[in-house]
Amino acid sequence: MMLNEWTTVVDGEARSVSEDRPGRRPAAKKPDFLGFGLGLRAQHYTDILDGDPPIDWFEVISENYMIPGGRPLQILDRIRARYPVVMHGVSLSIASTAPPDYDYLKELKALAQRVEPKWISDHLCWTGVHGKNLHDLLPIPYTQESLDHVASRVHLVQDYLCRALTLENVSTYVQFSNSEMTEWEFISELSRRTGCWLLFDVNNVYVSAFNHGYDPYTFLEGIPQDRVVQFHMAGHSHMGTHIIDTHDQPVCDDVWDLYRAALKRFGPVSTIIERDDNIPPLAELLVEMEQTRSAAREILGDAAIPRTQRANG
Amino acid sequence: MSGFAQQQADFQRAILEGDAGVLAEILDSTKERRDVLFSVYRHAYGARLVEVMRNENPLLHAYLGDDGFDEMARAYIAARPSRHPNLRWFCQGLPEFLAATEPYRDYRAVGEVSGIETALSDAFDAPDGAVLTLTDFGEVAPDSFKDLVFQPHPSARRLDLKTNAFAIWDALKEETTPPEVETPAEPERLIVWREDLTAMIRPMSAEEAMMWDEACSAVPFGVLCEMAATYDDPDNAAGRAAGYLQGWVSTGMLGGFTIGG
Repeated sequence: MMLNEWTTVVDGEARSVSEDRPGRRPAAKKPDFLGFGLGLRAQHYTDILDGDPPIDWFEVISENYMIPGGRPLQILDRIRARYPVVMHGVSLSIASTAPPDYDYLKELKALAQRVEPKWISDHLCWTGVHGKNLHDLLPIPYTQESLDHVASRVHLVQDYLCRALTLENVSTYVQFSNSEMTEWEFISELSRRTGCWLLFDVNNVYVSAFNHGYDPYTFLEGIPQDRVVQFHMAGHSHMGTHIIDTHDQPVCDDVWDLYRAALKRFGPVSTIIERDDNIPPLAELLVEMEQTRSAAREILGDAAIPRTQRANG
Repeated sequence: MSGFAQQQADFQRAILEGDAGVLAEILDSTKERRDVLFSVYRHAYGARLVEVMRNENPLLHAYLGDDGFDEMARAYIAARPSRHPNLRWFCQGLPEFLAATEPYRDYRAVGEVSGIETALSDAFDAPDGAVLTLTDFGEVAPDSFKDLVFQPHPSARRLDLKTNAFAIWDALKEETTPPEVETPAEPERLIVWREDLTAMIRPMSAEEAMMWDEACSAVPFGVLCEMAATYDDPDNAAGRAAGYLQGWVSTGMLGGFTIGG
């Protein structure tokens, strides 16, 4: 029997979430380990479809395919037929104090019905209020008030999408004076309250830790071991006094070290190289992607990390 | 408004309007002042949207040059902040903005080049739909042809230009020097659509454009032929109409037909 993410097993019987309501929110089944992949970028469409590269899975930017029709959706259908796909959004604005955007959620849900992603992720951030969208991943204060608000929004979105969300830590450049807890405490409590999964962006942890003067390994140790379903690996631009998360460079040595520590803490976690700008040829990204696989085999052993995960596709 | 909501409103205003009030709620880091750190968000906002506009309007960018385009883009960003969660739609209002806003409205070709690029973008990811083919006519009885009412493919859209913007656009696409702006006596009529997965554009004669517009208004084919007869030489009007129809069908501009409306 296939269990979807919002189906739980109670006393050997599968029950849908609706049967559990009202009452305690059931624990969702943790998504499968997908292996090592890339963020799908239009520059690589032809190489992927003509070349069948050894990529275990793809993460696609949801908004790029929240369009009426045409070539991008046709390409996505072809990719989806050959590879497992995860949908990764940038505009959910889960932490916004603006009213929920049901038009957006409706489009997101329709795309998910078409793509059948392994999971749907977005960022723990907000992108605008008062009807405006700044198209940036904006920071929040870590307070009880903001935690209550974001948790209620996660519940709402999860109920609408009929599945657990996965939320990613973002790179931030400022800290608020009214924060009452650390970012990792906030994320951990949000996941505990809502059942959301976590996308651990290794680079973003490194960037925020440098910008705010804390130890990235403390952040790492503060994240619950059983909630992380995905890693992002990416590069950044160092400005001396602060780091800007540009996602336009190869992964640096310090982030590789943090990745190895994350593997030790979280075990096998589905991983992608996420390049958003200055996008190199596919072959170059494949080398970096294979480094993520090699590091995992080095840390976790060959038995835990198959050479390819495609059979699961 | 809750404290959290007020803080987000302050933060957004600081990015969009340069207001510094939110800095009182932000900490210096051990290595940098808060205003420098906050400026990362201010800079990223404008830079990201300018980049999106360059990517969406490559030929308008080529026409205006880097400085001219960026100045125009900054004006658009200030006047029309994004109100859609998907950046795909951010540039949707650009042709109308350029046609209505000084100094661009005095350079009509600029707005019309933008209109061509926007129409092609819209055709590229317009809704999918059935495509009428010649074989679909196989079961139509000869005396029913006059009653055929056509539906355009969802991607098809007509444009009328007051300048030679199509020639300018074409030169920019071919990376040659665009011609001087001209304003012909008759508008230039264009059709934009998607053939298979490729966005297409071509000029239409005044007669073909008239017939296409009427066909899209559910005028039956027989009446279209009569209109062609009054528009030009009546002796070969039916042949001209059939020729237009064959062109529309062979390039995927029509979605289907009904008989008798």
